[in-house]
Amino acid sequence: LSLAKIFEEQPDRRYIMFGGKGGLGKTTFSAATAYWLAKHGQKVLVFSVDPQASLSDIFQQDIFGKGAVEIMPNLYAQEIDADQRIKEYQQEIRGKILDMYGLDQVPEEIENYIQAAAAEPAMEESAIFDAVVDIVVSADYDYYIYDLVPLGHALYYLSMASVYDQWIDKITGLRTEMEEYSQVAAVMQRKKETEEDAILRELQFIKERINKSSGILTDRVRTAFFFVVIPEEMAILDTKKAAGLFAKYSVPLSGYIVNRVIPETLAQQEIPEYLRHRLTMQKGHLATIQRELGSDVLAYIPEMERDITGLGMIEKMAHEMFGG
Amino acid sequence: MADEEKSKRGSLLDGAKSVLYGMAGHDMSRYALKTRGSMEHLFILITMGDLLGIPILPPYYSLRILPYVVPQISTWKRRMLRERDLTDALA
Repeated sequence: LSLAKIFEEQPDRRYIMFGGKGGLGKTTFSAATAYWLAKHGQKVLVFSVDPQASLSDIFQQDIFGKGAVEIMPNLYAQEIDADQRIKEYQQEIRGKILDMYGLDQVPEEIENYIQAAAAEPAMEESAIFDAVVDIVVSADYDYYIYDLVPLGHALYYLSMASVYDQWIDKITGLRTEMEEYSQVAAVMQRKKETEEDAILRELQFIKERINKSSGILTDRVRTAFFFVVIPEEMAILDTKKAAGLFAKYSVPLSGYIVNRVIPETLAQQEIPEYLRHRLTMQKGHLATIQRELGSDVLAYIPEMERDITGLGMIEKMAHEMFGG
Repeated sequence: MADEEKSKRGSLLDGAKSVLYGMAGHDMSRYALKTRGSMEHLFILITMGDLLGIPILPPYYSLRILPYVVPQISTWKRRMLRERDLTDALA
């Protein structure tokens, strides 16, 4: 199987993700895949969920916090500015409080809480998580390419979804029970209707959003998840470990892409001892990859002669990945 | 004439219902409301725990709920932080 074939044979897979250790080429592959799809007439959004995103660097254009920016026809890129989003969100909450109670100032205690909550470490991830939901529910594009954060974060991101889900389930349950007690009292007092519970509605809204996002991550029909690995011992070990963990969260794994393969043809040339050693080492690791991942490897991408930035190099990379 | 009788009977029935409610239902509905009140405080604790310095996941979404519980915050804090003593038994 080749990468191009995967895309042709599984046209329903519209959410594309690349995962792997940091610095192995996830952003590069995201950009190159987006480029290839866009060239084939698909409208593509590649977006980053990494607080230290590098899409701006690879496209050589500042897109941070600017929404979806058109890079070339059909190709859009977006970097989420979590800080900005948190600020807007806080403002929205303040506005709601002022509005609901006709106040002209948020009570000090409440204001302190709003500020303290924003300083929580989980806030940034949650804000990005929420922003991603906004992006994917919009359905404005044919393909969504997630430039994922390094493995640890991605796992955190996934586990957060299931923790959130359980948490919301629990408190929704509590809230529903509370509603029942209100109703009992209302029946006893022969009131016609109870007030609708605004909080319960809010909880259901939150639950729906969380399920939407984690639902996509684990959707076997619409999601393709590729692991990026390089022929080095640590990377292989880490990737195997991560693949196991991802499987636990039932993320559908589409295959592996091996990056940074030093071309073996170099061995026939006059090369320094240093490089020859690396080639021998690589040969061993490639054999390991072949043995353990075997048919799940979709592509071997050679180490490029220079950094991959700018559309010219992205095109070259897309050629290496997809051919033609 | 018939109408008057009907409404008379109706008000009599209403009166009887009220007496019955006073005898049996009132306590039950008071109990239901009291339970609900306790649960309300529990609910705020698990969503707004940070206000007492108890961080309970996750702050992003608890902010969404904050506007609805603003009026309860002060009574809730008092209740949660109140020391238990003898007078509690009298309350």
